Amino acid sequence: MPFIQVYGIYVIINGHLSPGGGFSSGAIFGASLVLVALSFNLEAGVKQISHQTSSILESGGALGYVLVGLAAIIMGGNYLSNQGAGFPIGQAGELFSAGAILIITLFLGIKVASTIVTLFYNIIEGEK
Amino acid sequence: MVYIIVFIVLATLFLRLLVGVEARTLLTLYLLGLIIFLFSFTVAEMPPFGCPDNPVFNEVHWRYLEAGVAETGAVNIISSVILDYRAFDTLGEATVLFVAIAAVIATLKSH
Repeated sequence: MPFIQVYGIYVIINGHLSPGGGFSSGAIFGASLVLVALSFNLEAGVKQISHQTSSILESGGALGYVLVGLAAIIMGGNYLSNQGAGFPIGQAGELFSAGAILIITLFLGIKVASTIVTLFYNIIEGEK
Repeated sequence: MVYIIVFIVLATLFLRLLVGVEARTLLTLYLLGLIIFLFSFTVAEMPPFGCPDNPVFNEVHWRYLEAGVAETGAVNIISSVILDYRAFDTLGEATVLFVAIAAVIATLKSH
């Protein structure tokens, strides 16, 4: 499981450099948390990430995306604009480049991972 | 046109009186036939697949390929399109996920 999570984080922070991005990395990361409940039992899975944590991460991911867009307005650009709002672009091809894309990928990955986890645990517990 | 109307009237009489189909079922069948008719017209009017003078082959993709790295700083063109040029669309996708999970929780936790 740690190896899957390390790979998920790698896909998140390389979302603007290599194939990948928010949605796929969130799927990888969420699958690693789902695998705990599949391989041990439901209690071990809930112990890894509680319902409250996952719903806070879920809402926080969506809120963070909107706030990045609003930050672009405050910095003087259009909604969700990147270079026009003055986000640091950096040297193309380096890890910390591409300005808002890296931040948005991070929030999107958090959101998709917690979506998968919340969906899985809610449906499984609905069986009882 | 006249032949079509005559055919529909004859088919209605045949199905209604001789076969005994209900009026509700018949209405559903006609509505489905109308939808198939409209969709077939739409598909017949579509441009051929992969033809070089299709309206999708315009100057936009040259702009993405040539100026994308300079304008967004992202080497991955897909990331630069979905998270910079089309970021509002991706926000809509994230909202779809959010609404879906809210609906699942509201349905499963209510009983």
